[in-house]
Amino acid sequence: MAKAPERLYQYAEVFKGGMAMTAEPAEAVGGIPKIMHENFRLALKHVNRLIETVENDEPLVSEWYGNTCEIYAAMDLTHFCPVDLIIPTRPFFDSIDRMHEDDTPADSCALIRLAVWGARAGIIPVPTVVTGMLEPCDAQSLMHEAWETVPGWENIPTISLDPPYGYGDEDIQYFADQLKREIDFLEEHTGHKMDWDELRRICEETNKINSYWDDVNHCLMQKPCPFHSLQAAEWGWTQALHVNWPGDPEVTEFFKLMAETAADMVEKGIGAVENEQVRILWADLNGSWAEAELGPWLEETYGAVMVNSFAGRTPYSVIDTSTPESMLFGLARKGINEVPMIRQARGTVDTFLQDVKDMCRDYQIDCVFFPNHKGHKDQGGNIGYLRELCREMEMPLLTFSSDIFDPTFLPIDELKRIIATFFEAQGWKPLK
Amino acid sequence: MDKAMRVREICDSFRELCSVPYNESLQSYKNDGGLIIGVLYNQVPEEILTAAGILPVRIRAVGSQGTEASDARFTQVNCSLVKHFYDSAAKGRFDFIDGLVATNGCDHVRKLHENWTSVLKPAYSHLLCFPKRQGDDLQVTQLAKEIKKLKESIEAHFGVEITDEALREAIKLHNRTRELQCALYELRKGENPPITGAQMLAVMMAGTCMPREAYNAQLEELVALCQDVEGISDYKVRVVVYGGEIDSIDFFEAIESQGALIVADSLGGYGKRSADMQISLEGDLYTNLANAYLMERPAEPRLHGTRAARWEYLEKVAEEANADGFIQVFIPICDLWGYERVMFATEVEKKDLNCLVLDTEYIFTASGQTRTRVQAFVESITEGGR
Repeated sequence: MAKAPERLYQYAEVFKGGMAMTAEPAEAVGGIPKIMHENFRLALKHVNRLIETVENDEPLVSEWYGNTCEIYAAMDLTHFCPVDLIIPTRPFFDSIDRMHEDDTPADSCALIRLAVWGARAGIIPVPTVVTGMLEPCDAQSLMHEAWETVPGWENIPTISLDPPYGYGDEDIQYFADQLKREIDFLEEHTGHKMDWDELRRICEETNKINSYWDDVNHCLMQKPCPFHSLQAAEWGWTQALHVNWPGDPEVTEFFKLMAETAADMVEKGIGAVENEQVRILWADLNGSWAEAELGPWLEETYGAVMVNSFAGRTPYSVIDTSTPESMLFGLARKGINEVPMIRQARGTVDTFLQDVKDMCRDYQIDCVFFPNHKGHKDQGGNIGYLRELCREMEMPLLTFSSDIFDPTFLPIDELKRIIATFFEAQGWKPLK
Repeated sequence: MDKAMRVREICDSFRELCSVPYNESLQSYKNDGGLIIGVLYNQVPEEILTAAGILPVRIRAVGSQGTEASDARFTQVNCSLVKHFYDSAAKGRFDFIDGLVATNGCDHVRKLHENWTSVLKPAYSHLLCFPKRQGDDLQVTQLAKEIKKLKESIEAHFGVEITDEALREAIKLHNRTRELQCALYELRKGENPPITGAQMLAVMMAGTCMPREAYNAQLEELVALCQDVEGISDYKVRVVVYGGEIDSIDFFEAIESQGALIVADSLGGYGKRSADMQISLEGDLYTNLANAYLMERPAEPRLHGTRAARWEYLEKVAEEANADGFIQVFIPICDLWGYERVMFATEVEKKDLNCLVLDTEYIFTASGQTRTRVQAFVESITEGGR
């Protein structure tokens, strides 16, 4: 039996610990602790599947969420994104410090740097094949090429999909045609075959998940917000697109639990924050520290809640499951037009602005935080448009430069000072 | 006039043309009623513009003094190149162009194009969507479609017709440019190269900021002259420069001032890579353009799946030029070249090569530091270091 990288077994312990911490209250009161418990349990399930695959020497696919993971699941292929477990478990390891010792470019995104460092450090299992997606940023492309220089990763069969720049049917079809090639590639290199009936079932589950997720968001739109800062975005983003096995009914149940919990709290008028004063849109992905390291301070000090982020945006169309072609078209649309980050980063500024505008309106937002993530060079070029939009909406905007995956780039205490000054300027005072 | 002096004179005249955005040659062309389109990046198939009777001019913010106008549109995460480009555009330094064509070559440049178009409102603007990877028929077909869209857009806006015959002639003209440029590169492989790396950069850049027929005529003369001149012998080491959109002659001069003669390069914007292809005149010309620009031209990091080919090309160039070492140059805050540096380092270590990595802001000011580092690098080669 082969041995998986030690880090995978450690991840399993982290998630078991999370389950243990949330077990009792989950049984007792349900609600948010129960969701957290289930989130840990499903993450553990994902890790165990990875470990089992490596130990049994079965094919393992490295993916990126824009490649539409439904395809791998329908081919019964264990898949993982090499950074997905590094990011959420960051507080438990010294990954960031070790990453800084590596020679990857300091002015690039920590997510990419962690991915390259992780492969070099041997904490990521070596995949059988790599399926890449050349969005949402320039570094994404180079990350895949950098892996080719890592010992043990040199000759892994790789296919990378080229996202178009436009949004129309012709553009989606171009990507769908590449998904077809991806299936051929996977069949050739893993021996697994596409099961179109299984893909249909999985796409139907995905449609259900997206519907529940949308229900959750409708609850977040209410005052007071039923969940803590960025919680729902984090749970949804994780379970729908990352630590997941598409089509798993347990994941659908997880989204149902989120939706029912949120609806119940809204109905009872219960907010996650006792005295909600300020509602914030975090205009990017959550990253790895905003939810846990900034959220509680905002809530306790100001009664301010980061209601949602781009990670929690749910613009998903229903995937038409009538034919293989219609499913691939629907998955392609999801992969390039709908999933977070790729949705906002690819192409023109219009989607980014529309998302900010719609979310400010729908979620009854009081101000926007724009973290100017150093990996999102495209969004740096959006700043003028964003300022104009916020002026037009009379929406206070706070911009600061950060690395949303590396808390050392902009220390949290420094950010808290920046936010305090901004809130003071708006006349928003601390609760105590 | 002796031949060496004439060579210098031609190189100096090219350098003069490259010293300002709106040079005398362009002014004269405009005064005669010519149309100019500014081009961002070497991925744009300029043959289409030539076929339309429009002069493509590569945008360079040479002489830019600051980036104040960019501060409202870009942030700290954007590179100095786009900031200087936008600043120059906002200050009217490119007001002579009749339009702008760019590609989505990198995240910075596509946003430069978007801001320039929506805020500064050039009379005409087009973004050609270039595939992000070298690949197969899907990518070539996609790019051919995009090139046709550019053609149709030019035709509609400028009221011209781009016939196949005109495109064929344009391709011939550009092929001739590339052929002559390659001939000059060939001559620089010898022990005593006829011109310096800085002069070669001026030669290459001049081709992007003057009418092409006149450029070819001068280049033809230069190539002929260079076959007979004595050449340069007072150098200490021969180096190959590797990088992207580097357009500072001063930067190259700072390198060469320390005895490191640049005998070859693998530069995309204004270097050998942009010259190393010939476009076929057989069959569908749009497919040929797509094939050449995507699949045949030596690739750079912005084209995924070409890592091994990039390295092979660089090694070949260095070997043919009998180079002693490499100097890799890049502009900070560029993910593409930042990671290329990392992968380059892996190869350098594996093969124990002489290599120096230099970063420079778009406007080169760190002359003293560059000279010191190159001096140390030259010494490390000549005195038996690595």
